[in-house]
Amino acid sequence: MADFLSAYSVQQWLESAPQGYLMDTEYGHPPGEKEPGLVLGDPLLREQAIRTTVQLVVGERCALSASSGLINAAPDEGSKRFLATQTLDEARHTEVFTQRLFDLGVPKADLESTIRRYANPNLVKFAEVLLEKVDRKDFVAGVVGQNIVLEGMAFHVFEMLHAGSQAVNPKFAHTLSGTIADERRHVGFGENRIGSLIRENPHRKGDVERLQKEMSYYMLATFADSFRAGPAQEEMARLRRETGGASGKSEWQGVDLSELEPREMEAVLSNTVLAEFKKRLERIGLEYQTPVRP
Amino acid sequence: MSAQDPLRETPADEGGAPRRRFLLDDRGFDEVPPRYRRFYRRWAGAGDQLAPNEALCPVCKVVVRSTRELRPGDRLYCMACMSRLLVVSGQDGRLEATVVY
Amino acid sequence: MSEESSDVHQLEPARFFEQVHSFEFWFEAVEGYLHGLDHGHRAETPEAVLAPDERERLITVLCNYCVGETAALEGAGGLVQIAPNRASKIFLSTQTVDEGRHLEVLVNRLRELGVADPEVEIASRATPALLEFKRRLLALVRERDWLAALFAQNVILEAMEFTVFQAHARSADPRTREVLQGIVKDERRHLGFGENELGRRLAAQPGAASRLAAVRRELDPLVLGSFRDTLLRIGGRREEGADLAEHYRAAVTRLGFA
Repeated sequence: MADFLSAYSVQQWLESAPQGYLMDTEYGHPPGEKEPGLVLGDPLLREQAIRTTVQLVVGERCALSASSGLINAAPDEGSKRFLATQTLDEARHTEVFTQRLFDLGVPKADLESTIRRYANPNLVKFAEVLLEKVDRKDFVAGVVGQNIVLEGMAFHVFEMLHAGSQAVNPKFAHTLSGTIADERRHVGFGENRIGSLIRENPHRKGDVERLQKEMSYYMLATFADSFRAGPAQEEMARLRRETGGASGKSEWQGVDLSELEPREMEAVLSNTVLAEFKKRLERIGLEYQTPVRP
Repeated sequence: MSAQDPLRETPADEGGAPRRRFLLDDRGFDEVPPRYRRFYRRWAGAGDQLAPNEALCPVCKVVVRSTRELRPGDRLYCMACMSRLLVVSGQDGRLEATVVY
Repeated sequence: MSEESSDVHQLEPARFFEQVHSFEFWFEAVEGYLHGLDHGHRAETPEAVLAPDERERLITVLCNYCVGETAALEGAGGLVQIAPNRASKIFLSTQTVDEGRHLEVLVNRLRELGVADPEVEIASRATPALLEFKRRLLALVRERDWLAALFAQNVILEAMEFTVFQAHARSADPRTREVLQGIVKDERRHLGFGENELGRRLAAQPGAASRLAAVRRELDPLVLGSFRDTLLRIGGRREEGADLAEHYRAAVTRLGFA
C-alpha cells in the first residue's frame, strides 16, 4: 500500500504540477495569451464558449466538494494526502475556468447568475448523486463516482475540447492540457485504490454499479443537451469559413471533429467515455452497467 | 484615492512635512510571489529596529515595508498572512500596525 | 495577475483579498520556498547523530505533530465544503494540500529516524488530549459550524503550531529544522486567513463572540496543555511556554473575546 501510494504523494505532486507543467503559467496558460478575437467578437461563438465553460465550472465545483469531502472518509493516511492534492487540483480547475468566463467578458458581478442561467440541470443532478455519497462518508462509492465516473468523463471532455481548440484557441488549449495532466493522476488513483477496496468489500459491488449506471445516465443527458442545443452545422461551417480555414483538422479518437455534425460529436464523445468506463470498471472488478440513453 | 476604502485617506499628508521615499530591495522574503518580495522582510530579533517606512504585522510578525515614510492612517497589507493593516500611534508614541478586519 | 499594480499597498481591498486567496498566489508563494526540496528539506542537509533518549523524545514529538496535522488535513478538507464563498473554498483547498504536505514530510522524517511503521508509532504515542481535540474539531465541521470550526482549526490549532514549530526549529537538528521552517511559512497564511475571516464575521455578528468563547473554553485546555508538554520535551524554555500562550491570547484579544 505504502509503495503504491508513494506515487501519489504531495512531494510527487509538487514536482509534477507546480514545479513541472504549471511552471511559468498564469491561470493555466502562458502569461499574455488571450481568447481569440473571433470568439470575443462573434456573439454566437462567445455564447457557446460561455455555455461550455459554465459546464466545466459546475463540474469542477462538484469535484472540489467531493474530493475535499472524501479526505475525511479515506481509510488511510496516504489516500488522505492524495485527496488533498486532488482537492487543490479541483480548486485550481474551478479558478482557471472561472477566469475564462471573465476573459470571455462575463462581469464578476454576474458570475453566479451566468452560471445559474447556463448550468445544465442534468449535470447538476449528476453532481447531486455523487455528493450524496460523499456526504454519507461512503469512500468506495465516492471514489468510484468521483475518480472513475466524473474524472473519467472530464478527462475525455477535456481531450476533445483540447483537440478542437489547439489551432484556433491556444490559450484554452494550454489551460486544458494542464487539467488533462491532473485528471490522469485522479483517474489513476481511483482505479488503483478502488481495485483493492472492491476485492476487500465484494458486497459493495451491487450498489456501486448502480451508482455508475445512474451517474452515466445524467452524463449522457448533459452531452445530449449540450450538442443538440448548439449551433447548426451550416452556422459552424460559416464560422469556419470566416476563420479562413484556420481551424483545420481537429483529430480526436480517429475522427476529424471539424467535419462532424453535433450529434455525431455527441456520439463519439459518449461512446468514448462509456467504452473507457467499461474497461476501467472491469480492471477494478466491477461490472459495467449500461445506462438508459436519454 | 478610492472612495470605497476609508483607509486610503491620509490626513497627515495635508499641510504636513513631505514624506521620505524609499527604494525597496529584495531581502530574501520568499513566502510571497517574487514581485512582492521587496515589501516584506523577517524580523531579525532583539537587535532589530523598524525603519520609518516599516511596521510589524501583529498577526504573523513579519516586517511590512512601504515605499513611503509611514504616517498614522496609512494602509498596509501583509501578504504573508493576508491581513489588512492600519498604521496608528502606539501608547509610547511610536507607530504600530493594527489589523482591520 | 501580471497587470496588477507593482505596489502591493496600492491594491484595492477587494482585489487584494481576491489575489491572496487564489491558487495563483499560493502557487507563486510556495514555489519560493519549496522548490528543490525533498520532503521538506534539502537533500544535502546532513542527518544529525542523536543520542537515544533525544531520538525517542523527537519521535514522540513528531508523532504528536502528525496527529495535529492529520486533524488539520481532515478539518481543512471538511471546511472546503462548508465555506461560504468560492474564494474561501479555493483558499482552503490550498490549505488542505499544505496540511497534506505537512503530514507527509513529518511522516517521512519519522522514517528517516528509523521508525519502521509511522502509523503504528503515531497511534501508540498520540496524546489523548490532542486526539480529543481532533474529534471535537471534526464534529464542528460535520455540524457545518463554519465560525466555530474555523476558529478551532485556524486560530487555536494553527496559532499554537506556528509558535511551537518556530520554537522547536531553533533547537532542532538541521533536517527537522528545515522541515519545520517550511511548515511555519505555510502556517502564516492559515492563521492569517482564520483571523481575518473571523474578525470580519464577528464585526458583522457581535453575538457570535459568546459562542466562540464557549468553544475556546472547551478546546483551549486540550491544545494548550499538549503543546506545552511538547515544548518541554523538546527542551523549550519556560518563557517559550509563556510566549505560546501570549501569541494565542493576543489573537483572541484582537478578535474581541479574550
